[in-house]
Amino acid sequence: MNSLHPRIRIVWMLRAIVIGAVVGAVGVGIATAVEGSTTVAVGGAVLVIILGVIHAILRYRNWRYVVGEDAIYLERGVLTEVRTEVPLVRIQHVDSRRSAFERLVGLASTVVYTAGSRGADVTIPGLTPVEADGLRKRLKQLVIDADGEDAV
Amino acid sequence: MKLAPAAIPYRAFQKATSLGITLVFVASIGAGIRIGSPAFLLLVAGILVAAVGYEIAYYKRFSYELTDDTFDIRSGVFSRREREIPYGRIQNVDISRNVLQRLVGLSAVNIETAGGGSTEAVIQYVTEFEGKRLQLDIRRYKRGESTDPDSTDHSERREPDEVLFEIAPSELALSGILSFDPRVPGLIIAVFSGSIPFVSPIIPVDAPPLVLMVIFAILLAGGMVLAWIVGAISAVVNYWGFRLTRSEDELRYERGLLQRYSGTIPFDKIQAMTIKDNPLKRRAGYATLAVETAGYAPGQASGRGSEAAVPIASRQRVEQLANEIAPYEQPMFRQPPKRIRRRYLARYLIALGAIAAVVYGLAFWFGTAAVPWYLLVVAALLTPIAAHYKWIHRGYSLGENHLITRNGFWSRETKLVAYYRIQTVLDTRTIFQRRWSVATVIADTAGSLSLLGTDAAAVDIDQRDAEQLREELTERLRDALADRRRQRAGGFEWLGADDTDPAAELADEQSPVESEGNAGRESDTQKPDEQTNTDRDDDSTN
Repeated sequence: MNSLHPRIRIVWMLRAIVIGAVVGAVGVGIATAVEGSTTVAVGGAVLVIILGVIHAILRYRNWRYVVGEDAIYLERGVLTEVRTEVPLVRIQHVDSRRSAFERLVGLASTVVYTAGSRGADVTIPGLTPVEADGLRKRLKQLVIDADGEDAV
Repeated sequence: MKLAPAAIPYRAFQKATSLGITLVFVASIGAGIRIGSPAFLLLVAGILVAAVGYEIAYYKRFSYELTDDTFDIRSGVFSRREREIPYGRIQNVDISRNVLQRLVGLSAVNIETAGGGSTEAVIQYVTEFEGKRLQLDIRRYKRGESTDPDSTDHSERREPDEVLFEIAPSELALSGILSFDPRVPGLIIAVFSGSIPFVSPIIPVDAPPLVLMVIFAILLAGGMVLAWIVGAISAVVNYWGFRLTRSEDELRYERGLLQRYSGTIPFDKIQAMTIKDNPLKRRAGYATLAVETAGYAPGQASGRGSEAAVPIASRQRVEQLANEIAPYEQPMFRQPPKRIRRRYLARYLIALGAIAAVVYGLAFWFGTAAVPWYLLVVAALLTPIAAHYKWIHRGYSLGENHLITRNGFWSRETKLVAYYRIQTVLDTRTIFQRRWSVATVIADTAGSLSLLGTDAAAVDIDQRDAEQLREELTERLRDALADRRRQRAGGFEWLGADDTDPAAELADEQSPVESEGNAGRESDTQKPDEQTNTDRDDDSTN
């Protein structure tokens, strides 16, 4: 079982801070428009950020994945724990991608797509760019080896 | 090949009408345009000419062709597009004809593949004959049969389709009566909630609470009756003359009163089957069957879900039909642990508590103290029964080739998913489920109905069972895939219908009527053909 790169917590925390900032800005805007107090808005923003940071830490702790011989297995989730098993034969295509935050801390994610409807795309975040590329290539090879069974 | 020439005037008419309606609307809201003024008439004439001109260009540009391995479409007036769809990727070929199109003899053909959000090939419009020919020819090319245009008609006559289901007038009437669309009351409330400020002066707020309640009850009942009538009419219109036939490797359906639909569903593209019923239908011994493919985008199938649904038939007939499409054995449902009933009970009591809070809040707001508390007490007494029934209808069953799950009391769904159709297996535990140490295992397929969140799911089973089930399902998927691959590599006599459920195939060849109990035989007959039976043992059949 692999866990993610610890720096992914920074990405998630940054995301929470941005969301908190947006919430705070909107709240303060409304408060000034109706001439109410801005404390509630600021408090809300701080709460969002605190919850986001806690969520990021717990999320990192609960994230596990392993690329097995014929399936990818993932375990994640804070409030709702989800374990997903993605058979390699079902993979349609694989992306590796880097968001702005991820580039900031030098990380990347790999996204695995299936034809399914619920878990149609499975993201493995918190990889180093080299790992992400390597995973993509390895999955590609495994999928080719797993052979041309119709995926739908 | 070209579209039908009659498509030009029809399409132009269609476009001009919609434009005309917009214009009249704009004029009627007083945008300074007077209907009847010369400028307006000129505008209308101009639009008509433009519409006809565009449609002529569209007709000239649009061509399609059946090549040896792809279906090609070239289209587009301003931006051109060439599209090639491999036959093997085609999921459904649907034909629809509304009243007007039937009068002028036109058909719209839609070809669906699994990818993308919308229909991949829309051919508007060809003649009725050409539409049918397309359907048949695509099927033939898919099988890789000879494509001599002269022989097509003969070969089709040779294999008459076996009628699986034909709706009887009584069944149609029943489906109308028993179909209650729960979305309609919601819609009515949504539409009319905007008019509450206008209505509220009429309602005597100061009337005694009993009168208020009666008014409310009458409104509610009226909404229900309206919903029921709408549901009944739409069911009858949709399923008028429903017919389901099977050919060697496809299901075909036909239905519709005003708009006539017909389509094909290849057996090898069926993802899942759902048998639906509600307490009323269960009591009367009826059920509904839906066949899912990956072809339809959500909400596309005219809002009534899967196209190939048997609206209503006796439960026995539905099960027989499902068995003919994909043989499965009678499920032995394993239920969630009994303790979970307490969870449902708690859930219902909390919901009831919330309702009580709202009711008392409203009573306080309106200054009336008379709350029908006895109703709340009755509801509270009923919750244990409701919890029990919710539990009793839940379960999953691991068959030889299928995972079967069942959920719901008011609208009970029994889902059949072949192991080799599973895409991913999920095992989720919400924070509340963890308290009861239960989990939900979901077998995700590429079906389209699943997009509405109704995958085959074993809900609230014990966490250890969940873990086992998840592993079991992935294992069975792997074995089923290995089986199928071996069959493809080894059994050349199956190549003619390469993806069809082998058990169904066998049933076809040996005894066309009876198809039950073939699942076991299949593996035996397959054995001599196996060439690569080295890497696995046959535990999938246990």
